[in-house]
Amino acid sequence: MMQTRLSSFIAMERREFLRTASVMAAGAAAGGSLGRAATADGRVMLPFENGERELVAYPQKRPLIRLTARPPQLETPFSVFNEGVLTPNDAFFVRYHLSDIPTRIDPATFRLRVRGAVTTSLELSLEELKKLADPVELVAVNQCSGNSRGHFTPRVAGGQLSHGAMGNARWTGIPLRTLLEKAGLGKDARQVTFDGLDRAPLPGTPDYIKALDIDHALDGEVMLAWAMNGEDLPMLNGYPLRLVVPGYYGTYWVKHVHDIEVLDTVYTGFWMATAYRVPDNPAKAVEPGTAPKKTVPISRYTIRSFITSVISGSTLPVGRERVVRGIAFDSGQGIREVAFSSDGGQTWRVAQLGTDLGRYSFREWRIGFTPSKAGTHVLMARAVNRIGETQPLEPLWNPAGYLRNVVERVPVEVI
Amino acid sequence: MMLQTISAAVLLGVLVLVPSRAASDKPVEITLPVETARLAESPLPGYALAIGLCSTCHSAEYVQYQPKANRAYWRAATVKMQKVFGAPIPDAAIEPIADYLVKTYGMERPAVGSGSTAR
Repeated sequence: MMQTRLSSFIAMERREFLRTASVMAAGAAAGGSLGRAATADGRVMLPFENGERELVAYPQKRPLIRLTARPPQLETPFSVFNEGVLTPNDAFFVRYHLSDIPTRIDPATFRLRVRGAVTTSLELSLEELKKLADPVELVAVNQCSGNSRGHFTPRVAGGQLSHGAMGNARWTGIPLRTLLEKAGLGKDARQVTFDGLDRAPLPGTPDYIKALDIDHALDGEVMLAWAMNGEDLPMLNGYPLRLVVPGYYGTYWVKHVHDIEVLDTVYTGFWMATAYRVPDNPAKAVEPGTAPKKTVPISRYTIRSFITSVISGSTLPVGRERVVRGIAFDSGQGIREVAFSSDGGQTWRVAQLGTDLGRYSFREWRIGFTPSKAGTHVLMARAVNRIGETQPLEPLWNPAGYLRNVVERVPVEVI
Repeated sequence: MMLQTISAAVLLGVLVLVPSRAASDKPVEITLPVETARLAESPLPGYALAIGLCSTCHSAEYVQYQPKANRAYWRAATVKMQKVFGAPIPDAAIEPIADYLVKTYGMERPAVGSGSTAR
């Protein structure tokens, strides 16, 4: 029984890889232009039940795994993470909540408002914003709270994603602190809220607004970014301006930000007070299938690592050395070590870390591996950060399907 | 002023690329690809209600990609759309919609026969 399930799992992953690979090549050859009304470019099978998806090329994007069309939600094919430590803009995942999204933005008339408990309300053009201070750059991972939700057991409701709702980019912008200091904060300021241009079609739907505590907003790292990887943000990643909240889940990285309000209270809107909550205990987990008694807003990333150079179900020749590569990241402590196992976690060897692009970035790792005997081997990677946090060998569970960071298993056949 | 900036940039050569090229002042406009997913056809009364009420705000994958769930889940999901997200779903439509969803996408879906339509 177990063997059968493993085989079908491997078969599914292999199909995903093959289909994705051929489609990626076709998409690259076709190129992309802004106005192209893309069509389905094939299908992929994500490695869980009911995991068949379309691959569709959206404007400014190569073919990506379409989770939903309206609003657009696109997942990055996992093979992209083996192409380099920075995720290309045209492969970066897309997540919206509300379906009335902006499709035309004039940077000349776009205005960012700052209001509320401030000395001076501001209304800035993009040009004015960019002149407030010298731009800063930061490499940081943006990961959806529900990344890998489809792998939860028992399954949970929500966007059924595999591991592709994450990406790593070099962001360019100005510190949020600079902007808030320009407006001048009132003594009673407690939180800052962020609203983007995306809206719901119905007036009764809670608008997508997120809040940060004032100390967090002023930490000098939270940033208003207009560029990623040296280019303007793609429209679907928040053009012309998005919030970058290093180490925090993507839910806070509000896209198309146009309205910032300083509050002297704690924001109680739906997307903070009801949605995006995790169990209020140290593990942020509950017994599978149960509900937490108390919850808090989701915050920092859990530590994760992935093998990117070997696909589940691959066939590896016995006795031939290869380099296994992957990535690791955490919420900003920085990765101290990645260990690799080729025997399902019985023994571990320490991998070599790649270039350090900063503590919020993906960190590449690599290790030589020579399969010594034929049969099924389970490859695993496990990261440790600079304060000793690591990944669990058994998955933690919460009802919303957030925070997944179990050591992932990559079964391969050695022949 | 603009000309000066450009000349300086040209003189500085490679620095032009840092930190942000592109920076065009023209409007950016995109055309979204067509939506392809459709709610699975059904003789159940909830089908037409779902087309009319659910599709206002979101495409069909929101329903079709969910893991197999029971009637209580689909009823709660429908009520959530009504009460939390403000969908104008009449109380009398809750039960028929939940019935359609659980029988088409959930645990009450017949084991054989309807598989090919529920995409």
